[in-house]
Amino acid sequence: MRAVLASEQASTPALLLSWVARWSLMITLLLNIAAFSWVAPQMLEPGNLATILRSAAIMGIMVLGLTWINAAGKLDVSFMQVAALANMVAAALVEIGSGWTLAVLGALASGALVGAINGWLIGVLRLSPLITTISTGGICGSVAAAIGKGTSIRISDAGPLGDLLAISFGPVPLIAVLVGVLYVIAWWCQEHFTMGRYLYALAQNEEAVLEAGVPTDRLVLVLYTFTGIFCAGAGVLLAVSLSSGQPMIGASYFIDGLTAVLVGAMMIRIGQPNVIGTATGIVLLATLVSGGALLGWPDYQRDILKGALLVGGVAFTVWIARRTPAQRR
Amino acid sequence: MTLKTVNLSATTLRLLAIVLLLLVIVGIFSYLEPRYASYGNFSAITRHMAANGLAALGLTFVVVVRRFDLSFPGIATFAAVTIGYMIANGYPLWLAIATGMVAAVPIGLLNGWAIGMRGLPDIVVTIGSGSIAAGMAFLYSGGQTIFQNFMTSGILDLNDTKILKINISFYLLVTAYAIAGMVLHRSTAGIGFYATGENETSAYYSGIRTKRYVLAAFGISIFTAVLAVILLIASSGNASTNHGATLLMPAYAGVYLGAALLGGASVPATFVGTLVITILLDGFSLLGVPYYYSDGVVSTILLFGVIAFNERVRHIARHLVFKNFRKGAQA
Repeated sequence: MRAVLASEQASTPALLLSWVARWSLMITLLLNIAAFSWVAPQMLEPGNLATILRSAAIMGIMVLGLTWINAAGKLDVSFMQVAALANMVAAALVEIGSGWTLAVLGALASGALVGAINGWLIGVLRLSPLITTISTGGICGSVAAAIGKGTSIRISDAGPLGDLLAISFGPVPLIAVLVGVLYVIAWWCQEHFTMGRYLYALAQNEEAVLEAGVPTDRLVLVLYTFTGIFCAGAGVLLAVSLSSGQPMIGASYFIDGLTAVLVGAMMIRIGQPNVIGTATGIVLLATLVSGGALLGWPDYQRDILKGALLVGGVAFTVWIARRTPAQRR
Repeated sequence: MTLKTVNLSATTLRLLAIVLLLLVIVGIFSYLEPRYASYGNFSAITRHMAANGLAALGLTFVVVVRRFDLSFPGIATFAAVTIGYMIANGYPLWLAIATGMVAAVPIGLLNGWAIGMRGLPDIVVTIGSGSIAAGMAFLYSGGQTIFQNFMTSGILDLNDTKILKINISFYLLVTAYAIAGMVLHRSTAGIGFYATGENETSAYYSGIRTKRYVLAAFGISIFTAVLAVILLIASSGNASTNHGATLLMPAYAGVYLGAALLGGASVPATFVGTLVITILLDGFSLLGVPYYYSDGVVSTILLFGVIAFNERVRHIARHLVFKNFRKGAQA
């Protein structure tokens, strides 16, 4: 009751603060784009925009499932090694002449398998998500390297997927449009299906959700399987865009993916990872990487910046979430 | 037939089982590769174990307070390059090591402060701070390997010196484990660490300063990780920006495998876990198994460790055994 009264009596500066907090990530993104475009006008050239959007799209596929896993209070640190595994499986299958259809199916199946194992261990056996996915990720990375005997596999023909990635409407590649549509659908599902509510409830109190009659073990299993498939999809697209299978592909995606998801939780549903927030986070990181490259920043400076963004974003989210009454979050 | 009851405590049985496990592993490797059972190889095992074991020792404290630390590889890398930079610039070894510690340990304490005092999520904070520290490691040389003055600085002696035919690094390991064991198992501080992990709220209201224990755990984790990376740069004779990364998997696998074998995270458990993993990894590399399989092997051990350590799994297993036992009795 007191919280309701407090919110009614909220003064204008307090409301303004909460509005700024809610949209701070979007504001950061716009400021970031404006600043880079000012310092390096090449930023807004169609070719550069297409590059930004294409890498953001692949990243978007990789971390869509991760967003929901984090929203459910779980964690997956194996996502980039799953992508690397799928990437190598696809490359190896194409090079032995199986054709792209079989290669893609094989890669997606490998992702689904790892995802299902993760989901089973975490959902049914209730193992620690961090330790479980560290070890399954390690195994995937090992298998990915073993497929190529420690080196990469070159792909001579990018196949129909190569053509798909190349299609672009001006500065907007087709793949970015498709991923955009995917995110809108995912947002709609998250907000309108009971699944979405279960996810956020799971993060609050898993036992209570279980007692309420929700099969949490199956939900977690499905969630991780779904994530595995999407990571594998991203891995296949990376194989196509790089024309090779790279066993070490994931390293740079790890910190980017987690940062995008957790910084995305600063937006709209404060403190809760959500699809739109993740999309904004991905575009923010993609512009940061591209702008940094245009200005000639070395990789490690971007790593420091991303780490700072991750810690700063989470500290900010926790701070705002504590200040805002639960009803209005 | 008369049934003689032998009174063996559960701990003794476990220890016997572990000794048996070690003997079996060593036996198999010696059979496959005659070079395995040699002084040179056992000396190498103690050296490898020293680095992995030190990193796992600090992590044990973090696991005991039921937190995770993913920052120690990155921060240890930063410390390694800092120490390398100091040595390359002609500073004495002790000053170089002290500077490395002073550069790294506060980052760990900062982790502990953010997580323990401010209630930030442990995994995210440590991934972030680890990433920042790993990035800062590039500031000195832009990612170039530092090797100047290493031969003359005396740091190589940490790797080469032997007392009674045993590497000096192994003495360091044993000393560190003895001190950590005293703190965690023979002092009130140890009770504080365990109470914080078991139930932070009730520990807090029992007058235990839980936040300080969390803070201390993250500090200790970085302190021992820096000790570990000092041994790594001493053995490779240079400092590079990927020196800490190799510590992550063996440390986690050591802690969790030990916890599975001895029924809970503790200093002796971590020792046993690290010993088993080091012996396995050393054996595989001696057999010429490609490097990329070793991560898979350690990961599999880690996964086995968590599954066996899991109370739910143990409960199900015990239930199954008990049911079959009863069935057998009825038949």
